[in-house]
Amino acid sequence: MQPVRTWRDAVFVIAFLFPALALLGLFIVWPAIWAFAQSLTNRSLTGPAALHPQFVGLENYRRLLQDSEFHASLGKSVLFVLLSAIIGQTVAGFFIAYLMARRPGWQLRFTPVFAAIFVLPLAAPETVAALAWASLTTGTPEGLLNRALSLVGAGPVQWLQQYAFPVIIVVNIWRGITFAMVFFAAAIESLPTSALEAAMIDGATAGQRLFRIVIPMLRPQILIFLMLTTITTFGIFGLVYFLTRGGPQNATEIIGIYVYKRAFQYFDIGLGSAASVVLLCLLLVLGLYYVRLMKEQV
Amino acid sequence: MSRELSASRAHATVAPATQRRLGAQNLAQFGAYGLLVLLAIFSLVPFAWVVLAAFDAHATIYFQIPRSWTLQHVIDLFTEADGVRLIINSLIYTLGATVVTIIVCTMGGYVLSRFAFPGSRVLLLGILLLRIVPPTATIVPLYLLATSLGFRDTYHGVILVLAALQTPLALWMLKGFFDAVPIAIEEAALVDGASRLRAAFQVVLPLAGQGVAAAGLIGFIGAWSEFLIPLVLISDQDKMPISIGMFRAWISYTQVDWGLLAALSITYMIPAVVFYVIARRALQSSIAGGLSGV
Repeated sequence: MQPVRTWRDAVFVIAFLFPALALLGLFIVWPAIWAFAQSLTNRSLTGPAALHPQFVGLENYRRLLQDSEFHASLGKSVLFVLLSAIIGQTVAGFFIAYLMARRPGWQLRFTPVFAAIFVLPLAAPETVAALAWASLTTGTPEGLLNRALSLVGAGPVQWLQQYAFPVIIVVNIWRGITFAMVFFAAAIESLPTSALEAAMIDGATAGQRLFRIVIPMLRPQILIFLMLTTITTFGIFGLVYFLTRGGPQNATEIIGIYVYKRAFQYFDIGLGSAASVVLLCLLLVLGLYYVRLMKEQV
Repeated sequence: MSRELSASRAHATVAPATQRRLGAQNLAQFGAYGLLVLLAIFSLVPFAWVVLAAFDAHATIYFQIPRSWTLQHVIDLFTEADGVRLIINSLIYTLGATVVTIIVCTMGGYVLSRFAFPGSRVLLLGILLLRIVPPTATIVPLYLLATSLGFRDTYHGVILVLAALQTPLALWMLKGFFDAVPIAIEEAALVDGASRLRAAFQVVLPLAGQGVAAAGLIGFIGAWSEFLIPLVLISDQDKMPISIGMFRAWISYTQVDWGLLAALSITYMIPAVVFYVIARRALQSSIAGGLSGV
């Protein structure tokens, strides 16, 4: 790194940085600010309120506060993140990674083969993932999951009607848990073995080694993964919308789908913007913590 | 063989090694393999239908072993106008966005790696923060913005938005890759009389080529898989990418050609998976904060 000293350098820096910053400014920063501005108006997608929106102050936020569907949607998003991203992907993924990772006195074979298979759920585009799960969870007796159930004499179950919310949680766990495992296994294997070997000589149990040595040493990686998957999961739209379109009866209307429906199906731009501002603020808080973690890390 | 070897090696370091512990160890390993196999099945099973239905002459929405196999769905996909158009549209959006991302982020990443200027650190952290803003949170104003710029139903509009979404991560990755190229190399070129621009393009860029490729692959995957942006910005049937074509086909539930849809899904999935595997290491280190300093 060198300081910018001459005019030539300054022009060079500005010229090279400008295109990237222009893209970010125009399509990410400006829309975020504009979302806030729109949320203070009664703008609609069609009709007179589309052309001449009026300033309505915090009216949209008042409506959000009173909208039980918004409360439910926010609650579903939090539950969705907690169960799928935090417990299903991060916690379960970490423990399974611990089983998989090579460490003193423990080595599994074929882990590259498993790692190659484990890539698929996350690498597949979300529409393919959703379609694949739609086939699996088909409600008629011919659906694969129902045929499995019939082997034990149960079912058939209308998965996407009766258990839509649990299904999307399982789908999101499916999408992230194996990536979490491979990621955490690499982190565990990068730990210096001396601490673990010393603990084994001292007779520490497997549990003690995990909770007293491995987890504290990997705290930064665990937190960074946790933050990133939490943030990503709050922003999920396509995976769930493709499968359920938020239904049945709003059962899977997570916050992204709430925003989309209000703005583009009910044409209520003001309310949709207000909800997306709430989502943005939530992500900003998480994001600032994430940035702080990354800053410590690098 | 190697397992026995490593187990015994480990036992040499752990005293006292008893026969009973070795038995428990084997049992635990057996359990671990069982768990891994279950997870592998869990990962693969949802895709079984996609793979079989694509080659099943009588494909349905259900998983079934084909009684007669066929390549007709794949042939149809690449010969019928609708399928070809979806694939070409997806390629236009994705390649366009990837090229834009690579160009602007290579330039920006180089400058961020080589120069310190007032606010450069804050700028870097700000870019990192932008990485967390999903299109879900900005889609309403993005729609209004695209409308007022005349970007709706245009290739260039979607390309620019997709490129912007890939930019924060690509910028960070490329800065990291440029940081890994020793500054002494370009200083030597500068002393030899090369201009700053020439040093950047002819000396540094080739050395960071792998990084540019990795950022390009990751940008490609992101743009290729995008669903919400084209869902909102594209309503013209002739300009829809694969993701929206799949969605349209899927919600027209009764008249779906399942074999064709499965063949399309596989075609859609293959580039994403292949590129993902190639770029996996770069992706993982980008999460772990393996990128060098702010």
